[in-house]
Amino acid sequence: MLLNFDSLGSWRWVLTIIVVMVAAFLLLPIVFIAALSFGSSQWLIFPPPGWTTKWYHDLFADPSWLKAAWTSLRIAVAVSFLSVLIGLVASFGLVRGSFPGRAFLRGLFITPMILPVVVLAVAIYAFFLRIGLNGTVAGFVIAHLVVALPFSILALTTALEEFDRSIEDAAVLCGASPFEAKLRITLPSISHGLFAAAIFSFLTSWDEVVLAIFMASPTLQTLPVKIWSTLRQDLTPVIAAASTLLICLTIILMLIAAAVKKGLKK
Amino acid sequence: MTHPFLEIRGIRKEYAMIPAVRDVSLNIRKGEFMTFLGPSGSGKSTTLFILAGFQDPTAGDILLEGKSLLSTPSQHRNIGMVFQRYTLFPHLTVAENIAFPLKVRRWPKARIEAKVAEMLRLVRLEGFETRKPATMSGGQQQRVALARALAYDPPVLLMDEPLSALDKRLREEIQVEIRRIHQQTGVTILYVTHDQEEALRMSDRIAVFSKGVIDQVGTGEELYANPATRFVAGFIGDSDFIDCELRGAAGGKAKVALKDGLEIGGIPLHGEGKPGARVALMLRPERTRIDPAGASGGAIPAVVTDITFLGSNVHVATETETGAPVSVRLPFGHPSISALARGQKVGLGFDPAEAHVFS
Repeated sequence: MLLNFDSLGSWRWVLTIIVVMVAAFLLLPIVFIAALSFGSSQWLIFPPPGWTTKWYHDLFADPSWLKAAWTSLRIAVAVSFLSVLIGLVASFGLVRGSFPGRAFLRGLFITPMILPVVVLAVAIYAFFLRIGLNGTVAGFVIAHLVVALPFSILALTTALEEFDRSIEDAAVLCGASPFEAKLRITLPSISHGLFAAAIFSFLTSWDEVVLAIFMASPTLQTLPVKIWSTLRQDLTPVIAAASTLLICLTIILMLIAAAVKKGLKK
Repeated sequence: MTHPFLEIRGIRKEYAMIPAVRDVSLNIRKGEFMTFLGPSGSGKSTTLFILAGFQDPTAGDILLEGKSLLSTPSQHRNIGMVFQRYTLFPHLTVAENIAFPLKVRRWPKARIEAKVAEMLRLVRLEGFETRKPATMSGGQQQRVALARALAYDPPVLLMDEPLSALDKRLREEIQVEIRRIHQQTGVTILYVTHDQEEALRMSDRIAVFSKGVIDQVGTGEELYANPATRFVAGFIGDSDFIDCELRGAAGGKAKVALKDGLEIGGIPLHGEGKPGARVALMLRPERTRIDPAGASGGAIPAVVTDITFLGSNVHVATETETGAPVSVRLPFGHPSISALARGQKVGLGFDPAEAHVFS
């Protein structure tokens, strides 16, 4: 390698300090939130004067929090499932197909990643207002699909491109129909791509707030929207508790994804 | 009327109007080991893919025991194939890989198990049942691929340069294995390669492909002794070509004149040519004689440019006085070798009946 850490001399310390600072910048807010969620002060004083699990009790005692979490979960699971399904079909077309405008279409599918979410949100809101999808689970799912699909398509087109087409051809020559060959051979072979697509789609929906604020109604809110709206009304450590749980689930999912990836490599 | 076992009839394949295969016709006997030999882009792999059903020909037909295969989709052709790249199913074990075509055919479980064991014995990989492809060497993977392709007793086995990714020693080892399996099973094999040595070592007959057509079909000996075209002569065995002029042709024998006016007659002529036409005289290095004393009595005058020791034989590079490079291969210990030195003037001789003239 051109840049070898061991041969950097005293620069090693500079590099170490920079890395530690970046890591601290990224991780400290999460640590603070977790600490505050167990702090006894109602005003989110840091360091906390004492420790309590009161806010978690309050959180679980309030049905509106549970309802928001349940809504988030349902939407994220639906988004994840549909995103993988649509992403898979689209990726087969993009990777295997030969039609004019293929490269353009591939770029087009990725644009929601670059476009400002608020622009998307306003457009989708205006459109859904006409067809009456605002404040419905279907509305949430479709809106989140728009931002989740690029992740699916990126993960699945990459996986399909790495997969040697001859393996599928071999399965067909073995007597499997083209569909059966895809189902029994190609899909299991790109399972790491399918997992990545599912988890990234889930997380995209799970912590998405901008589109969700536009889609939400007083009776239908996702967890991030509930956190945001509660924050505007009053400052309570219950928010810190909810945020900590949100982060925990995200970390667990990332760990599962890492474990799956490692397991598949063996 | 009896049909040929496998008949390739006037196959043509164009991509965007550019023909990859121009016109290929070939009859293959049951149980034959037929090799398609040619450089890349000569249409040999495309012909194989058309047989497999991955591509449809622009024109022509393929008949197996008199019945056209073209309307049958790949999965129902019951043809076995081993690919150039490793195509074992990565998430399945060796045993599951071999069982896959049998499961698709809904064989009963006990029969599948017996067949998998039989195939593993055939390719000598007993004990590898539970291994995953990623943990095996390239040679082992190709042997499993061979077992998988033969498990359902296909009448025809296609092999598309299956050994090209392996190193030379392993390649020779598996060539012997494939030969043995061919004799043991009696399956008809169509084998694609660009390696003439591999083709000569394994095949019953070889079809030499060049620019989308078959130049010649025959046993290795036939192709070597009697090449039909200059391309075949250059592809099978080593050869040197000397430009010369056709002076006359009669009864399939040509009389040619080298640039310095030396005339040689009685050489087999391939192709047409009018007196005065420019033709190529082909010599085999192992059949060309070298006279250290110099040119006399109709020998071609030449100068030694290099002498290379190659183990069992010695390679002498020469250049004729007209500038054509001609090499001579002498067995190790040949009395002439000690009398040769770089820059020395020598005479080259050959038996006209063993040389060839191509128009």
